[in-house]
Amino acid sequence: MMLSATTRARWSEAGLAYALILPSLVFLAAFTYWPIIRSIYFSFHDVVLGKPDIFFLGWENYERLWNDSLFWKVLGNTAFYTLLTIPLSIATALLLAVALDSKLRGMAIYRSAFFYPVMIPSVAAGMVWVFLYAPGYGPINDLLAALGLPRLEWLYNSGWAMPAIILMSIWKYSGYFMLILLAALQLVPSDLYEAARLDGVSAWQRLIHITIPLISPTLYFVVVIGLLHSYQIFDYVYVMTQGGPADSTNVLTFYIYQNGFQYQDIGYASAIANTLLVFVLGLIGIVAATLGRRVHYLGR
Amino acid sequence: MAGAAAPLAGVLGASSSFASGAETVKLQFMYPIGVSGDINRIVSGMISQFNAAHPKIEVEAIYAGSYDNTEQKVITSLATGDPPATWLPINSALQTFLQLDALADLTARAKADDVYQDFLPGFLNTCVSDDKLYGLPFQPSTPVLYINKDAFRAAGITKVPDTWDELFETAKALTIREGNELKRWGLTIGGGWHDWIFESYVRQNGLVPWAKDRVMFNAPEALNALEFWVKMVQGGVMPPASTWESSANDFMAGRTAMLYHSTGSLTNLRTSSRFPVGVAFMPKNKTYGAAMGGGPLMIAKKLTDAQQEASWTFIRWMTNTKNQTEWGQATGYIAARKSSWESPEMKAYLQKVPEAQVALDQAAFAGAFLQVPGYHRVREFLKSALDRTLAGAIKPDAALAEANTNANREIQRLLRRRS
Repeated sequence: MMLSATTRARWSEAGLAYALILPSLVFLAAFTYWPIIRSIYFSFHDVVLGKPDIFFLGWENYERLWNDSLFWKVLGNTAFYTLLTIPLSIATALLLAVALDSKLRGMAIYRSAFFYPVMIPSVAAGMVWVFLYAPGYGPINDLLAALGLPRLEWLYNSGWAMPAIILMSIWKYSGYFMLILLAALQLVPSDLYEAARLDGVSAWQRLIHITIPLISPTLYFVVVIGLLHSYQIFDYVYVMTQGGPADSTNVLTFYIYQNGFQYQDIGYASAIANTLLVFVLGLIGIVAATLGRRVHYLGR
Repeated sequence: MAGAAAPLAGVLGASSSFASGAETVKLQFMYPIGVSGDINRIVSGMISQFNAAHPKIEVEAIYAGSYDNTEQKVITSLATGDPPATWLPINSALQTFLQLDALADLTARAKADDVYQDFLPGFLNTCVSDDKLYGLPFQPSTPVLYINKDAFRAAGITKVPDTWDELFETAKALTIREGNELKRWGLTIGGGWHDWIFESYVRQNGLVPWAKDRVMFNAPEALNALEFWVKMVQGGVMPPASTWESSANDFMAGRTAMLYHSTGSLTNLRTSSRFPVGVAFMPKNKTYGAAMGGGPLMIAKKLTDAQQEASWTFIRWMTNTKNQTEWGQATGYIAARKSSWESPEMKAYLQKVPEAQVALDQAAFAGAFLQVPGYHRVREFLKSALDRTLAGAIKPDAALAEANTNANREIQRLLRRRS
């Protein structure tokens, strides 16, 4: 009798849990899992946007992908963007967070100022940066010229367009990462710093040996979020370059959009999307296996 | 946005017509802006005039971005079964929409009217497939060569370039550098539609680089044209890349002395520049040649009879003699009707602005632009080849061969589906 009462209690507890996650599960199923299943199905078919009839193709879309030189270039562009944007924006964010983690008056104003870019809608931010980067009359070139540096063609130059977008992304994302890191910094016990200071440990060493290990769970979180962000960049490319010049800023999400909506080739777009999914899962696996192992949870 | 608004408009339209019994037909019209100028204001003005003159029809004009954006919005709304009644794509998208079975056949209505007699036949032909008419030309264009006359005078040049060789020499004389810093390009080819201008160059070599079921981007005529572009970029007289809007702005700001752009930008370039603007044929090589751009008004296939009728009234009104005359003058697009060109208003205007007739005269050497299945992707293959070549990343022959292979594979893939 005792046993079945426990079982019953367990069942009703589980029932409650399922009832509670049901609403979000329904949304996830409708807008995430079902589309993923559909896109796997579509990737093996010839599907044209706007036409109801579809034809089975087998692996043809994936074979096209394998032989598509632009796809490989796009993959390279995306990796280049990620490899530069994540470390640079997290490093910037960490320095900002450490600098702003003080109890001085007026810090809130600085924090808001650095967080401000995050709140600007990305399309508006993109338009503003198109102006800032304009070769003829843009302020950035005027600044370079005032410093005695050469003026650049920025978004019109296939070598500079991607770095220009990366620079802008760092400006846009650093504030967000800074906010998360600031929250983590506030939790680091101040007696550790005091003890270190008494022992004559320099500020740089305090950062390396106390701050970074203690906020490592948050840093790890920020890396994963940053990774997801950078594989989803679309808006800046759409607004600023449309993937050009000479495909130098075409990234995976934009290429999916081009194939699916500009070329109506839903089957092929699905094949790219599935490849992206596997790719991102793989990357997160690698990050979890390397960085994740070294995360320090304050003895918990 | 449009997708969400469309069903609502449909419901409201139906219910209000039942309630009032007035039988107002509501139509959506999606249009792009394809050139430089205050096009939105002009189109909105025409729409309110139309609505005021037609109490039983209410047209809602939806500005949808570029040509590509507009075509995408229409295609997406076709996928959800709720397309706008009329829209304005580039003529090259004809095969794409036909493949989607989206277009109303306008042949009978046009034959009962004066369409076949009065529209300029070349541009009307861009709306024809298998002898059936699927649109009325509304804003036909060709690229033309714009010239900063002050820059010409300052450089002591009196002759407008008429051949490719003269173009290169003139551009060289007009380019200004101070030390290593560029002050003014001799020539800019408007980016974003440079594949359209490239087809014009290939036509100037005597070849139409496409047929119904294939492209010939690897032909010697095309290679020769691209090599000429490379020569101009390496000669330092032309930037390797630009965009459609910025190239027009650069011209008006004096950053480039000559510009290839659509004739549809003529009025804006002429009235917004602080210097006198000349307009000329694109220089010839073996011959003059141009690819026809611009768009026709098309009507959706799946509409009620009342909507079909109202849509025809609308596109017929947009292309009547008076409106084509005024639209042509306001923008620089080629008025699509012979009667517009013969009207006293147009004749008076041409006295004042003879430049407005250049594109019409050049149209004698023009044909439709890249009307192949899968036009959007084929264009991207070509643009990518041109861009990478001008950026110095690949040799012209390798780039064109690759674009040709990719484009033809894509066309074959689509034709296989259709058969």
